[in-house]
Amino acid sequence: MRRAFVLGLAGMWISLLVLYLAVGPTWGQEPIKIGASISLTGTYAKPGKYTQEGYLFCEKEINDKGGLLGRKVRFIIYDDKSDPLTAIKLYEKLITGDKVEQVMGPYSSPVTNAASTASEKYKKVMMASLASTTSIWERGFKYLFMTISPAEVYLEGLVELAAERGLKTIAVINEDTLFAKAAAKGTIELAKKKGMQVVFHEAYPKGTTDFSALLIKIKSLNPDVIAAGSYFDDAVATTRQMKELDVNPRMYGVTVGGDLPEFYQIQGKTAEYVYGSSQWEKTLPYPGIKEFVAAYEKMWNHEPSYHSAAGYGACQLLAEAIKRANSLDSEKIREQLLKLKIPTVFGDYQVDERGFQIAHKMVLLQWLDGKKVTVWPLHLAEGKPLYPTPPWKQR
Amino acid sequence: MMQVQITGTMLLQLVVSGLLAGGLYALVALGLSLVFGVMRVINLAHGALLMLGAYTTYWLFALFGLNPFLSLLVSVPMLFVVGAILQKLFVHRVVEAPELSSLLLTFGISIFIANVAMLAWSSDYRSVEFLTGSFILGQIAFSKPRLISFSVALGLTGLALLFLHRTKIGKAIRATSQHRDVAQICGINVRRIDMITFGLGAGLAGAGGSLVSIMFAVYPEMGLIYVFKSFLVVVLGGAGNYPGAFFGGLLLGLVEGLASLFLTAQLSEVIAYIFLVIVLLVRPAGLLGGRT
Repeated sequence: MRRAFVLGLAGMWISLLVLYLAVGPTWGQEPIKIGASISLTGTYAKPGKYTQEGYLFCEKEINDKGGLLGRKVRFIIYDDKSDPLTAIKLYEKLITGDKVEQVMGPYSSPVTNAASTASEKYKKVMMASLASTTSIWERGFKYLFMTISPAEVYLEGLVELAAERGLKTIAVINEDTLFAKAAAKGTIELAKKKGMQVVFHEAYPKGTTDFSALLIKIKSLNPDVIAAGSYFDDAVATTRQMKELDVNPRMYGVTVGGDLPEFYQIQGKTAEYVYGSSQWEKTLPYPGIKEFVAAYEKMWNHEPSYHSAAGYGACQLLAEAIKRANSLDSEKIREQLLKLKIPTVFGDYQVDERGFQIAHKMVLLQWLDGKKVTVWPLHLAEGKPLYPTPPWKQR
Repeated sequence: MMQVQITGTMLLQLVVSGLLAGGLYALVALGLSLVFGVMRVINLAHGALLMLGAYTTYWLFALFGLNPFLSLLVSVPMLFVVGAILQKLFVHRVVEAPELSSLLLTFGISIFIANVAMLAWSSDYRSVEFLTGSFILGQIAFSKPRLISFSVALGLTGLALLFLHRTKIGKAIRATSQHRDVAQICGINVRRIDMITFGLGAGLAGAGGSLVSIMFAVYPEMGLIYVFKSFLVVVLGGAGNYPGAFFGGLLLGLVEGLASLFLTAQLSEVIAYIFLVIVLLVRPAGLLGGRT
C-alpha cells in the first residue's frame, strides 16, 4: 500500500516536471521590454499618473491576450519628475542600460521634446502619446510618432462657439512652456480669423499659484471670453481666484485639467460652466470604447481620463505596428506607423511624413450640474452649452 | 492688444492683495529669524516644516472635516514638538558653527522630510476648499480665505512678539540672540532656549503652512518658495530683528503685488530679488537695521 503511494507521488512529480519542461520554455522566454519615463511627481503628476495607468492597462491586456509576437510585454517605467532634462537621462538609461526594444513617450510636450532627442539618437521608435506641440515634429525626426491632436486646436471649440454667439473680445493667458504657448498662439490665431479682438495676452511662469495680478488686469478689460493655456493645478487656481476676484467673462475655457474629474471634485460648484478641451471622452462613439472604460475601471477603480485613453491608444498602435511588421526592428515598425490608418478606442490615427497627427479630432466639454457634457463639435456633441456663464454673484 | 489702464481701483486692489500675502510672509519669516538670531543657524528646513503644517490641516479637514483655523490648535503644538526634537537630535550640533554646516544639515533635513511626504502622500496637489469667494467692498474684492488668514497670521505674529517681549522665556530668547555668552553667564540655560526657539520657529512655520493650505495648493515641495521669501524678509528686516521680520514681510508682499501689476507675471518673480539687492546696497544691515 505504502509502495503504491510513493510510486503514485513520484509519478505525479515526474509528469509535472515533463509538463513544465514542455510549457516552461515559452513562459521563461525573454519578454519584450518597452520603456518610458512619466511625470509621476512634479507639476504634471496628475495627468502623468493617468498616462501610466493607460500604459499598464495596455500591457496587461496584451499579455492576457497571449502577448506580442509570441512573447510577453513588459513595461519599464521611471519617474521623470515632470522635468525634461531628467527624462533625457532616463530614456538613455532605458535604451542603453535596460536595453528596451522600443519606447513610449512621456507626458507633456516639453518633456517629450527633450526625451525624443535620446530616442532619435539611438534610432528607437518613440510613440509619443501625450505630446501635442507642432514644433516637436518640425525637427526632421524620423522615429517619433504623434497620437493626439496638436496644441493649436485645443480651444478651437471655445473660439467657434464664441464667434457663433457674436462675442468680440478675448483674453488669453498661458503657462510659459512649450505646449501652453502653442495652444495660446493657436487660440489667438483662430480668434483673429473669426474677427475677434485679443485684448490681453500674458504668459505666467510654470508653478505659479497666485494669479491675482493677471486676473485683476483682465478684469479691468472686461473681455467676453477668457482662454487659459493651462495644466491642471494652474487651471484650478485660476478658476478659484476668478471667483475670489469676481471676474465674470461670458465664456471661460481651459486647455488641460478642465476635463479631469478631479477638477470638479476639488472645487465643487466653482467649476460649473467652465469649458474644457478634451482629446477624448468616454461617451464618444468610438469602437470598443465601452469595453475599454469598463475594463479600465475594473483595474484602477476610477474612470479613465483622455490621458489614459491616449496612453492606451498609443500603446495599441505601437503593438499593431510591431505585429504588422512582424519584427522589433525600428525601420520596419516605422514603415508601418507611417502607413497605418486605423480607428482605435482613442479615435482616428493617421500621420503625415513627419509623424505628425492629422486624423484625430478634439472635443470641447462644459461642466454642467456636476457632469461633463460634450458640447462641440456638433456631430460628437451630447448636449447644448449653457450660455452665457452667469456672474459669480448670481450663483 | 489693448493697453491695460491702471486705475486707482486696480492699484488699491493689488495693494490689498499684496498686504494680505505679506502678513503670511511675516509670520513665516519670523520663525526663520528667531532660529537664526538665537542659534546663528540658517534653517533651510523651514519650508518643509511649513509643509508639514499644511498637510496636518489638510488631513484633519479631509478626514474629519475639521475647521482649518481650529486645526491650528493641532498643527502649531505638533510642529513645536517636531522642531524641538529636530533640534535636540540634530541641530544642536551645528549651533554657533560655521554657516555652511547648518546649511548642509538643514538642507538635508528638508530633502528628507519632503521626500518622506512624497512617499506617504504622493505629489498630488491637494487643496482645502473651506472658504471661497470674497467680501466685496465697493470695487475692491477681499478674498475671504486671504483676509481671514491674514488676520490670523497677524494675530499669531503679534502673540509671538508679545511672548518675546513680555514673558521670561521670551526675554531669555532675546537675550541669547543678543549675546549668547553673556546670556549664559546670566544663568540662562542656552541649550534649553535653543530647543524652545527651534520649536517655536517650527510652530510658526507650521501655522503659516496651515494658513497657506486654505489659499493655495498643498504639495510636498510647497515649502521651497516660502524659504526663499522668508530669507528675503529676514534680510530686509535685518537678521535677528523680530519686529523687522514683521514689517519686512508686509513690505515684500506689497512690492510683489505692485510689481505684478506694472510688469508681466514672469518679471514680477524677479522683482523681489532685485528689490533685495537694492536694499542691501543701500542699507546692508537691512531696512530696520538688525544685529550684525
